[in-house]
Parts: sequence; structure tokens; C-alpha cells
Amino acid sequence: MTFAELLTPAEVERLHEASLDVLESVGILAHHPGAREVLGRHGCVVDGDTGLVKFPSDVVERYRKMVPPRFTFRGRDPRFDRTVPDDGPTVVTGSSAPNVIDPVTGVERRATSTDIARIAYLVNELPGFDVFSISTLAADAPEGQFSLSRFYPALKNCLKPVRSNTPTMADLHGVLELGELIVGGRDAYRERPIINHHYCPMVSPLTMDVDSTEAVMWLTEQGLPVYTTVVPNAGLTAPMTLPGCLVVGNAEFLAITVLQQMVREATPVIYAGLPTVADMRTGAYTPGAIETGLLIAAQAQLARFYGVPAGGYIGLTNAHANDAQAGFETGMNTMLAVEAGATLLNMGGLLGSLMAFDFGKCVTDNEIALMDKRAWRGLEFGEDELALDEIAAVGPGGSYMGRDHTKKRMRTAAFLPRLAERGTRSQWEDAGRPQLQDRALAEARRILAAPNPAVWDGALDARIREHFPGIVDGDATSPEALA
Amino acid sequence: MGDDGIFEELKQSVIDQDEEKVLATVDKALAAGVDARKVIDDGLLPGLDVIGEQFECEEIFLPELMQAALAFQSAMAVLEPKIRESGGEGPKKGRIVLGTVKGDLHSIGKNILRLLFETSGYEVWDLGIDVDLFKFIDKAKEVDADIIAMSALLTTTLIGQKDVIDALGEQGLRDKYRVMVGGGATTEEWAQKIGADGWAPSAYEAVTLAARLVGAQAGSAA
Ligand code: B12
Repeated sequence: MTFAELLTPAEVERLHEASLDVLESVGILAHHPGAREVLGRHGCVVDGDTGLVKFPSDVVERYRKMVPPRFTFRGRDPRFDRTVPDDGPTVVTGSSAPNVIDPVTGVERRATSTDIARIAYLVNELPGFDVFSISTLAADAPEGQFSLSRFYPALKNCLKPVRSNTPTMADLHGVLELGELIVGGRDAYRERPIINHHYCPMVSPLTMDVDSTEAVMWLTEQGLPVYTTVVPNAGLTAPMTLPGCLVVGNAEFLAITVLQQMVREATPVIYAGLPTVADMRTGAYTPGAIETGLLIAAQAQLARFYGVPAGGYIGLTNAHANDAQAGFETGMNTMLAVEAGATLLNMGGLLGSLMAFDFGKCVTDNEIALMDKRAWRGLEFGEDELALDEIAAVGPGGSYMGRDHTKKRMRTAAFLPRLAERGTRSQWEDAGRPQLQDRALAEARRILAAPNPAVWDGALDARIREHFPGIVDGDATSPEALA
Repeated sequence: MGDDGIFEELKQSVIDQDEEKVLATVDKALAAGVDARKVIDDGLLPGLDVIGEQFECEEIFLPELMQAALAFQSAMAVLEPKIRESGGEGPKKGRIVLGTVKGDLHSIGKNILRLLFETSGYEVWDLGIDVDLFKFIDKAKEVDADIIAMSALLTTTLIGQKDVIDALGEQGLRDKYRVMVGGGATTEEWAQKIGADGWAPSAYEAVTLAARLVGAQAGSAA
């Protein structure tokens, strides 16, 4: 497949050079003393008073070239492991929303660990999703178990790779202990690290924070899977032009990537972004705007130039209901990204600019993801596919319907949607004019009505519960509650 | 009424978001013997009112609002000392200490808030992000603030808002300041639960809230 290219090769190189210039002449404000120390030791120029770090171009070039071309997400079941970019579009849920739209009342409320368990199960079953980035927070988390109350229900109910962040080092160590219990010890865990970490250590413009940077450096040193996202916001934290926004984001990507390589050579990374253009009428955050798609597409080209996998938060929406806006923002933007060769799509389930999870939106995004994956397959051009013998055999005026050739391909040539309406108007009216959201919620209920086969065995669960006294139930309970 | 021309000019220079013109016109007015207080009340503030209305109906956007605010502030830097020299009071509607709570690095919403407060005539001390609870309180004491306004975007840092309110209580200062909270992670229920004086879902509504709180305080003090 050839990818859509928004930038000429000369423009890509110009963006790279411009970013090098910014890193060398403007620099990065690094708040973490450990990061400053590592950067300084490897050739950057550190101002100890201000924390400003300047990156000579040759240093950046040396370290950024160490990055390997792929990144692997591992799950409880290795069959669900995914490698970007080799495995094509890898679809990840949107994460860390504080709220959920209650599937019964339709009212937005704080999300709980039970919501996480249900969402994990749903994501496990929906074939469009490859990685479960823990969609919400858990407001019912017991004291000291903020992250455990998210990772435990997530891992318990999902065999696919689980991804998220932790706010503190203590929480990070806690979830790693959980991971080790699940896979059977520290060594086994090092072989199969099933928690995939993610942080936003770069605070635009051109600043590196303390806590996330510390987590990224530690995980990198340990050789555990971690990647970062850059979040330039044109008009507020980046220039009000798409190329200017790309330069700031690219300099930030290079800075954190170079730091990771200094900590440990050949650490896998992803060029992940959540670039936006602010709505300057109000300052509103606009992840669903079309410019996000354009910027992600351009970042995918930059990533190809660097030989690293690309993608990010793409296909999110500002809509507060799973309506047409939610659909077009997710659909148009993910399409732009896929056509440009981005293979990491953080897109599923969130409404309201990352503030709330919605079960119907999640099921809808599964369908959009499957359409994106179908688009990625392209035309599958070949001599066979030209079907010349078949055309001759059917001849003018004949029918392809009853043919073996058709029968063999009818389930794979086209993606068959479960939600999109394909019936007649009268059928639709007879069914009570169901809206997309009705169908999506019905599908969620159907899936959640059955017991979850992904849940681990009782003995393991008992060990975990003993190890973490007071931990939440983590069960995807009561489909009735969803009725 | 020969003064009308100069007030119109002052007002227009703010509407034009033209800092140089604002400063030049202020100089011209002062040289002509116009009282500093009147320069503000009859020239600059009416200009800011127009700017506010234009922003509200989306005729102008944030950057324009911001430039008008900056021009206004530069003028205030010249005018305030003059008012104080003549023993007058600052014209501000109120003093606001603002920041994003401890552990929280989200600045975008807070910055917009500062801008809208400033264009509405408040004096704002922006403590930035990741602000320790004592920094809020110390600054409020230092500048004799009317309002402490705290932003929190993370459910994990929300508690910082409660900490400030609790600490104010412990120091016997709770009634001295009005406390308003906001930011993505907050809700009205949260604000009530922690005993804040007000909550608003957007910067725009925060300005109305501030007016209400300052009004209420003036009322209760009287
Ligand atoms: C941009 C962003 C970032 C940027 C911040 C850049 C910056 N300079 O501010 C970066 C990338 C650095 C970042 C980092 C993180 N973020 Co963040 N971020 C966002 C995002 C997408 C938008 C925030 C924003 O700018 N909104 C636009 C402004 C205009 O809106 P606002 O802030 O809400 O403000 C308005 C009103 O709320 C109100 N208001 C604001 N403050 C106040 C105060 C008062 C007193 C009043 C009355 C009103 C008021 O007025 C404003 C204007 O109308 C939000 C999601 C969201 N939609 O809010 C996530 C979000 C807040 N972040 C989130 C997370 C998880 C993180 C990280 C932990 C990620 C990580 N693993 O590293 C870190 C945490 C860093 C830290 N310690 O703070 C989660 C929060 C989860 C939680 N725990 O609650 C969110 C919800 C996204 C998500 N679903 O993952 N983030």
C-alpha cells in the first residue's frame, strides 16, 4: 500500500532540520534533575540554574538513529500480541476519562472499577480493538489503590494487551507486582511484560515534567515497554500554523526519544501525538477537529522518515453523545491517519474531549475501526483479483450471484457491519426506528450478558486478593444492570 | 465637554487592541490634565466593556481579547501609581489569587480564566501550576485577596482544592476569602462537598461567579 503524503520529502527534511534548530537554539526546559543529568552526560548543554537543556544536532542525530522500527504490545494471551507497524492498524481505546455515561440512565457520572471490568470485557470481545487502554478512572478506588483499582479489573477481564499510566512511582511498582503475580513471577514477567505503559512527559511548549519523566526513565532503564505522546496545541501551546505545531511536537518527540535512548540504547518507541488546533473563540480543546487528522498524517510521515511506528490519539471527539458529530469526527480523522500510514489509533469509546466513556460509542468505534482496517487492506490488487476468467464465464448479462467464485469471497471481500443500517425504510420503521446508539447499546448488552471467559482462574484470583487486601472486586457484573 | 474626544480616543485604542496607541493616548490625556481615575473609568474600562461584548458574540477571539487586556495592563502600570500618589483607591473590582493545584500541570484553562478575569477588571495573581496549598494562602494574605480561585484537571489532584479550604479553616481564615474551584475534574457537587463558595464549568461563567462572590463579600462586610 502506498500512503497518502501531505508533505513532500523536502518538507519532511525541512521539518526535521527546523526541529533540530529548535532543540539546539531554543532548547527544552527539563524539570527532572535526573533527566538533566543524563542529558548533560551524553552531550547536551545543561543550564543548572534554569533547567534549560540545549541539544546539539549531532547528539540528537546520534541517539534518534538508535530507535528500532517496531514496538510490541503484549497481552495475557500471546495470540493478542500486536506489533506496530507490522500488524497494521492497531486500535486502542481512549483512556483515563474520569466519567462514564451510565448505560442505563444515560446520565454522566464518575466511573468505577466495575465500569472498567465491563469495558475490559467488551473490548476483549470486540474484534476491532487490539489494545485496551484503561478507558476510565475508578472513583471507588480504596485509599492507596488508585492504579490497582484500574489495572486489576482491566487485566482480569481482558486477554488483549492492557495499557495505561500511573500517577506515582509507588503506583507503578504496585501494578508491576500485580503483573508479576499474573504471569507467575518476576522472571516470567520480564519475558512477557503484559502491562504496556504510557505517559505524557512533554508539556508543550518544549517542557519536560518531573513525575512522568521519572516513570519513563525508570521503565526504559528496566527494559519494560513504555511510550509517550506529544500534545502540542496550536494557538495556545504551539504556533497557530500546522507546520509550526509540527515543529514543536517534533522537537518534543525527539527530546524524549533521545533521552530514552541515552538511558538505554535501542529502546522501542512510538511517534505518538495528540496534536490539536485550539478553538480560539473559547480556547476549547479540539481532538475531533479535522486538523488533528492532518497533523497526525504529517507526523506519520515524519515517523517514517525516522523509521519508527506512528500514530496517537486520533478519532476522538468533542461530541457529548454518540451522535453524527461523534461519528464524523472519529471516522474522518482515523481515515486520514490510516491512509497516511499511522498504525496506532487511540480512538475508542470516549466522548466530550476525553472526559467520558460511552458504551455505545465504544461499540460504534469498533465498527469504525473495522472499516479502517478494511480500508488499510486496500484493493488487494492482483491478476487473480481481476477475475478475468470469471468475467468471461458469466458473460454479458449474466449474474455473479450463484457463482463459487462469489461464494468463496463474499465474507471477506467486504466488511459486513453489525451496526450500520442496510435495510429498507419500512423495515426500519417496523423495528421502531432504532437509532445507531440503540443498536450499539443493544450490542453491548448482548456481549455483556454472557459470563466472561477471559477471567482468570480462582486460585490466581485468590493469590492476588491476598496480596492486595481490600482490592476492588473487578468483576464485570450484572448485565441486568445494563438492561 | 471638550474631554469627550480624549475618552473616545482612549476607548477606541483599547478596542483596537493597540498597546502603543493606548499608552500614547494615556500620556496625552494625563498631559492635558485629565485625572488618572477618569482615564480609567471613562476611557479604558468602557473600551474593555466593548471588547468583552465582542468576545462574547465571537466577533473577536482569545488572542484579540488578550492583546486588549495587555494594553490595558500597560496603561494601568502608568496610572495606578498616579492614583496612589493622590491617595486614591485602585479601580479594581477585586483581587484574585489563581493557580492550578499541587501535582497538576494543566495550565490552559487557568490561563484563559486569568485573561477573562483581567479583562473584566480584576487584579489577578497567577501562581502558575503545581501550586502548593500554603502558596495559595500566603499569597492571598500578602495581597489581601478577595478570591482564591483553584483549577484542577485531574481527579487525583482535586484534593488539593479541599486541602486549601481545610487549611484556611485551621488558620481561622475561611471567612476572609471567597474560594472558587473549577477545571475538568471538578463538579458542582464536589465544590459543595468541600465547602467552596462557588464553582463554574467555564471561564466565562467564572467571571459572573466572581462578580457574585465579590458582591456577596462586600455585602457581608458591610
Ligand atoms: C491538554 C491536556 C494535557 C496537557 C496539558 C498541557 C497544558 N499546558 O495544560 C498534557 C499533555 C501536559 C497533559 C498531561 C497529563 N494529563 Co492531561 N489532559 C489534557 C486535555 C486533553 C485537555 C485539557 C485542556 O487544556 N482543556 C481545555 C481548557 C480550556 O479546558 P479546562 O482546563 O477544563 O478549563 C475550562 C473550565 O474547566 C474552566 N476552569 C478551569 N479551571 C478553572 C478554575 C476555576 C476556579 C473555575 C471557576 C473554572 C475553571 O474554565 C476553562 C475555560 O473555559 C484533558 C482532557 C480535557 N478535555 O480536559 C486531559 C486530561 C485532563 N489529562 C489527563 C491525564 C491522565 C494526564 C496525565 C496523567 C497523562 C500522563 N500519563 O502523563 C498527565 C498529568 C500531568 C499532570 N501531573 O498534571 C486526564 C485526567 C485523568 C484524571 N486523573 O483525572 C484527562 C481528562 C484526559 C484523559 N482522559 O486521559 N494533559
